[in-house]
Amino acid sequence: MTKIDPETRIPDPIELDRIEEDRLRAVAGLAPVRAEGGEYAGFDQVGLPDRPPQTDREREIYTLGEGEMLVNMGPQHPSTHGVMRLVVKVRGEIIVDIDPVLGYLHRGIEKLCENATYTTVLTYVDPMDYLATMNNEHAPAIAFEKLYGIQPPKRAEYIRALVVELERVSSHGLMMGFLALDMGGITPILYAFINRDEIVDLLSAISGQRMLFNFFRVGGVNFDTNDEFLSRLGTWRGRVLKNIEMNERLITDNEIFRSRTIDMGTLTGRDAISLGVTGPNLRASGVPFDVRKAQPYSIYNELEFDVITQTGGDSYARYLQRIAEIKQSIHLIDQIIDKMPHGPVQAQVPGIIRPKPGRAYAAIESPRGLYSVYAISDGGPNPYRFRMRDPSFISLQAMPKLMPGRLVADTMAIMASLDPVMGGVDK
Amino acid sequence: MDFELILGIGRFLLATTLLLLLTVPTAFVIIQMEMKIIAQMNLRFGPNRVGPRGIFQSTIHGFKVLAKEDTIPDQADRGTFTLAPWMVYMAAAMSMLVIPFAPGAVAANFNIGIVYFFAVLGLSVVGLLVAGWASYNKYSLLGGLRSAAQMVSYEIPLTLSIVGAVVLAGTLNFSELIAWQRENVWLFIAQPVGVGIFYISSLAEVNRTPFDMVEADSELVAGPFTEYSGMRFGFFFFAEYVALFIMSGILVSLFFGGWLAPWPFPAQLDGFGGTLYGIFWFFLKTYIFVFIAVWLRATLPRVRVDQLMGMAWKVLLPLALVNLFITAIVVVVLDL
Repeated sequence: MTKIDPETRIPDPIELDRIEEDRLRAVAGLAPVRAEGGEYAGFDQVGLPDRPPQTDREREIYTLGEGEMLVNMGPQHPSTHGVMRLVVKVRGEIIVDIDPVLGYLHRGIEKLCENATYTTVLTYVDPMDYLATMNNEHAPAIAFEKLYGIQPPKRAEYIRALVVELERVSSHGLMMGFLALDMGGITPILYAFINRDEIVDLLSAISGQRMLFNFFRVGGVNFDTNDEFLSRLGTWRGRVLKNIEMNERLITDNEIFRSRTIDMGTLTGRDAISLGVTGPNLRASGVPFDVRKAQPYSIYNELEFDVITQTGGDSYARYLQRIAEIKQSIHLIDQIIDKMPHGPVQAQVPGIIRPKPGRAYAAIESPRGLYSVYAISDGGPNPYRFRMRDPSFISLQAMPKLMPGRLVADTMAIMASLDPVMGGVDK
Repeated sequence: MDFELILGIGRFLLATTLLLLLTVPTAFVIIQMEMKIIAQMNLRFGPNRVGPRGIFQSTIHGFKVLAKEDTIPDQADRGTFTLAPWMVYMAAAMSMLVIPFAPGAVAANFNIGIVYFFAVLGLSVVGLLVAGWASYNKYSLLGGLRSAAQMVSYEIPLTLSIVGAVVLAGTLNFSELIAWQRENVWLFIAQPVGVGIFYISSLAEVNRTPFDMVEADSELVAGPFTEYSGMRFGFFFFAEYVALFIMSGILVSLFFGGWLAPWPFPAQLDGFGGTLYGIFWFFLKTYIFVFIAVWLRATLPRVRVDQLMGMAWKVLLPLALVNLFITAIVVVVLDL
């Protein structure tokens, strides 16, 4: 047994980090992190960054006027839909300015994908929008098929559309619940989760996994439908409208809910277009744009549906839009089951795909809007560049436009109505 | 010293001790109700592990709170920070003094019991405001200020809503008010507007959904309680549920006949049996209103702070004044 010399104490790594950080800060001419003695600072001092502003926008938000203070909502906050930080400048309860700070859930998914083979990319994109993971796989699958120049079998396309629409129902259903939850109603979210649990069980019956399904393949899907999936689908189909209606009865005509959402966070169609907002948020502002209709992919040109729009553009319109889309998706699911052909579910694809050099773009309508993938191949086994456009990220850009002048209580209500998912925002 | 005086002091001490002890099981029962009933309404199971059908879950929560580490933020004002939970709890416990549980079972049978009740219950706002200020946390501050605005505003319609009943009965003593209701009619029939205003305002006064502005967990994390942990948080938590019980009890006493049975023939019995009979009816009615409050919590979202204030000043206050005016005219004209 070796004896440890007490003189050679192993330094505490945290201590070393702090010393190093303070040294670097001293070089940059900043005050050390560990200032001696905790002095009582007024609320107008707390929350300001300890470095000079880097941009004009930073100077704007961190300059406090008379009677204003900064409130940091998040990243650890009960209802920021994941880990987002909102720097809210308030005067009393009224919001003066708001600055969303992103990146707390950044996992470098694009870079991971660029280092993965085309087949394994589809596993990495799953945890982006974790409420609609099949959608995340759909766009890369289409893009890689375009790159490689294959066509998935018809039955595979139908199964894809089926699972994607199922996820849309579950995702939009959850949005109803979260919107109510952020206003203090605790029951709708639990009703929504009943519906979601059934859908998740259903999808795990077909894919073998419960949340990150990893179901899509380049050139098809992993499994064909099975008995368990079909029987669960039948049961779910019999119950889903009842479940949605149960939730609707609790929320839609509720006077408190209406007074908190109508005329709240109104996004005009023009603003929505100029910000690049897509999906239900855009359609709720009266712009009839749906990727499934505008640039039909998969089998959507064989199905019969209309683009639903609302006129209001406020939180309530966004909520109504989700309900209408749930019903539309159920209608689509009925059609898909009716029309589903027989046949294989996977095209012949080699184990390692090496597409010819080129580029491909694929866009789908995810529950949150236009989700697209741009992939460049250099002939190797992994994409040279892999870029994803996540709709929640774009939706969040609308927030500084919607919030000012509202009350602190409205931040969460407006944010929930935009329905962002932080996994997709931070990638 | 005077024997009567010593007896009086002893009786008072006994009564207050009993009432203080009563707050603990009351809070446990209501918390258990809230967990279980909301779970059933949410189509969940709710707590079902601790004790048969999970009935000891809230008790275990109470012990858990005792065992937790009690932290005080670095820059908090230690004195007021530690004092605030006590103030809120005492405001709730002190107002129990005048609740008429049964004939003869009133800790202090004041002739101005109603005035005392509203005066003491209003003290809890001081505790919340102090908690919000002393925590040195912006959520707490916003919550504390909200609570001050909300509770002070709702105190006015709350108090005015019962003046009609007081004018009708001609007394400020709870026991006499119940006696009046026994002889005439339960006041919710005579004062339908008053009871509505009182119920809405009382929900706001005890920070229940849809008026739980103060806690507002989706906006302000936990309002003034954000920085509290351990038993200090427990005190706030207890006080909230005790206040709900008290408000329901007062509602029952003022408008729903207190300890009276809902039928006239043995509406009230004499002797010790009568006390038990009264306690039974009082608790039954009170817990019905507690249940309604829990039901509302499972059903409704929260109103916004400006809508809340608007409702107090623009709707409830004028209604309460009109109600009082009409009641006064009726009393004068009919010479009741």
